[in-house]
Amino acid sequence: MSVVTSPPSTHTPAYGHTGGGSVWTRPGWWRALLWTILAAALAIAVPALVRVIVGWPWWQYEVMSTCLMIATPLGFLSGIGCFDYWGKYIVGSPLPEGHADHGAYSWRDYFKVNTDHKVIGIQYLVTTFVFFLIGGMLAEAFRAQLASPSNTYFTHDAYNGLISTHASIMIFLFIIPAFAGIANFVVPLMLGAEDMAFPRLNALSFWMLPTAGLIMVASLIWGGFNTGWTGYATLSTHDPTDQGTFFNMGVQFAGTSSILTMRAPGMTLSRMPLLVWANLTTSALVVLGTPFIAASQFMVMFDRVMHTKFFNVADGGSTIMYQHIFWFYSHPAVYIMMLPGFGIISEVISVMARKPIFGYRALAFSTVSIGVLGFSVWAHHMFVAGLQPWLRVPMMVTTMLIAVPTGIKIFSWVATLYNGVINLATPMLWAMGFLFTFVIGGLSGIWLAVLPIDIQVSDTYFVVAHIHYVLFGGSVFTIFAGLYFWFPKITGKMYNEKLGKWHFWLTFISFNATFFPQHYLGMLGMRRRVWTYDERFADWNLFISMMAFVLGAATLIFVYNAIISWWRGEPAPDNPWRALTIEWQVSSPPPIFNFDGAPRVVGGPYNYGQPGAKHVVFEEAPVTAAHH
Amino acid sequence: MSAHAETPGHGGPPPGYGTVGHLDRVMMGLIVALASEVMLFGAFFTAFFYVRYTNYPVYPPEPFEIPVDSTGINTAILISSSFTMHWALVSIKRGNRRGLTLGLLFTLIMGLTFLGLQIREYALLHGDGFTPEHGAFASVFFALTGLHGLHVFVGAVLLATCLLRTLRGHYSPAKHMGVELSGIYWHFVDVVWVILYTLVYLLSNGARAPL
Repeated sequence: MSVVTSPPSTHTPAYGHTGGGSVWTRPGWWRALLWTILAAALAIAVPALVRVIVGWPWWQYEVMSTCLMIATPLGFLSGIGCFDYWGKYIVGSPLPEGHADHGAYSWRDYFKVNTDHKVIGIQYLVTTFVFFLIGGMLAEAFRAQLASPSNTYFTHDAYNGLISTHASIMIFLFIIPAFAGIANFVVPLMLGAEDMAFPRLNALSFWMLPTAGLIMVASLIWGGFNTGWTGYATLSTHDPTDQGTFFNMGVQFAGTSSILTMRAPGMTLSRMPLLVWANLTTSALVVLGTPFIAASQFMVMFDRVMHTKFFNVADGGSTIMYQHIFWFYSHPAVYIMMLPGFGIISEVISVMARKPIFGYRALAFSTVSIGVLGFSVWAHHMFVAGLQPWLRVPMMVTTMLIAVPTGIKIFSWVATLYNGVINLATPMLWAMGFLFTFVIGGLSGIWLAVLPIDIQVSDTYFVVAHIHYVLFGGSVFTIFAGLYFWFPKITGKMYNEKLGKWHFWLTFISFNATFFPQHYLGMLGMRRRVWTYDERFADWNLFISMMAFVLGAATLIFVYNAIISWWRGEPAPDNPWRALTIEWQVSSPPPIFNFDGAPRVVGGPYNYGQPGAKHVVFEEAPVTAAHH
Repeated sequence: MSAHAETPGHGGPPPGYGTVGHLDRVMMGLIVALASEVMLFGAFFTAFFYVRYTNYPVYPPEPFEIPVDSTGINTAILISSSFTMHWALVSIKRGNRRGLTLGLLFTLIMGLTFLGLQIREYALLHGDGFTPEHGAFASVFFALTGLHGLHVFVGAVLLATCLLRTLRGHYSPAKHMGVELSGIYWHFVDVVWVILYTLVYLLSNGARAPL
């Protein structure tokens, strides 16, 4: 067992504390408040001045709201101190002491711009769970509406606002950044790196998340954007969600470069843990895909604010074009939301079955090939949109092709389980539950790829069931698997196993009960995105709503478990799962600078069941971690 | 490149971190950023092709004329500026500070000239009634050229920063990452313009404005 390296109590992080000045001039919340107000004032004053000079009326809602939404987040981010270091770097003035803003010494450091990947990971995870709960409450609200066809809790506009905000929050503010949180905490440790390659960019990416989230949630107060999360053009005359999209570009941008640049000596590509492969591919998808959704939202913004005619059919524009550009990102985005999960499952299954992962190369290459193929399937979202007919069959074929690498993964995991010594702790339960639900989601995905079936069930609850099987039964299950798996490492405390099992089984049962019947309803023709439905679907919908409430309650068990265990759980051993990868060979939680000795990778990451197998050794000043 | 402290743990990462082969991580970051930029321009080019080939058999649409020739001169200016940029970089590598200063200065001047002529072109087109609100083709035209212009502006700010730092005595043959990064960015902006000029201007089949 290693000694937890506690920081000297006299240490006060210098960044934001020294250098004199009042609270209004040094980075922090007070300056953030001041600069946000200043930015807002400028965002109104400058356009107003220009408009007055040109001779237009000074106030115009669209222009002002757009300027406000661009300027105030920038004011906030600058004020809190995201740009201070770069500003000094660019003008070549002396830089603050190297590690002054690195690491958390008290809970206050979690509310500051911090460059430590572990702090950022925790910031991400806690923030995203807040958004997860908000998004979940929205879902419960519209399930209450849908419990009976004659309910009138919400108008149809409010209902559409609820579903759109629910989807946007869950996608942009929960699933994608939750994976970013796990990757932030785990990947540098796994690689034997001291931090991310771009710690300040990483910090900036995080601080954009609450900013974007606030804008998205605030939109509910003004009635919400009721266009669906896809914001199809001509409908999307409301708030475009571009705030929610450019933040993740920076996140993964930092991720990609870290992985390529910060590997420990000896960490060859074929010794990299699969989670790292997954995050590498995901980062490439984000870096290459996100500009497309940014462009589509820019065009919408131009159409709204500057009256351009991108999507105005009467003036030579095209609404189909919006869908092409939007889905060229948003389809790869489903792999952005799934590949990191695949990585987590590979880790958990191999450790918990005490067997080397089956088909390491196949798993790594199938990850990359999903990433590449993911860019060739976007138009399958548009089969009934009036798409050029010649494009439909090729898109159907490429879509079905993606089932091949995905199938390779499923078989590899099952083969890893075969003859293993399976430890059914909570993370493993989630991983096995994931295998079950994700196969169902994958199969309904192949159905949807087939043109005649897609045309039949487009815009019905069959699609709703499919996406919840892959995004909840897929992504969210893997997030929970990862959270339980790394909870001891992240917090230094063990979670409550009994509550974890309750959480899993309640979620697993109520999840299937909520979403499986929706396949059936969809086949019968129940339309999605409508606040009411035909009387004949009433019984099933009442059942679904009840199960959805159970699903919500199950999540509260997790929240309770996490808080109680973190607060006063049992201290966790360094390596409770007897795993080989590097993050488990350091103390729980890891030392502020990750490693007290320099890690050297000496073998594969998954050689379980082989006596004496080692993945990493520490040179000089070793932390003698427990190897059993 | 690997001027890291040797003590692991508190002084910085151990030797061997922070590079991909011979590539510095900051350079690596710029390359990833440019990959992202390629896709951003790609999205707007997609819009251009979509609008162009579905809705505009003849473009620019009657009665507008596209200023192929005068913009050709502007193109030549921008391409020349890439050469002076390269001159600046080679100069500092050889320790020639005068070459660095002049190279950066000429590049900056040519970049600003490009922007000025671009604004002139907008003004002329605007006078003819060819505005972003006119129709989808005009929207794409102004979005593409405007997005590029924004990049030229960012490049000019980077160049100006480099120039100021040069005048303050920064940079040396061993340490000139700022010049190198700004240079790569500037060349990128230049290459994008060559593609843009070819597709949007040279391949037009409508009327051409006189010089």
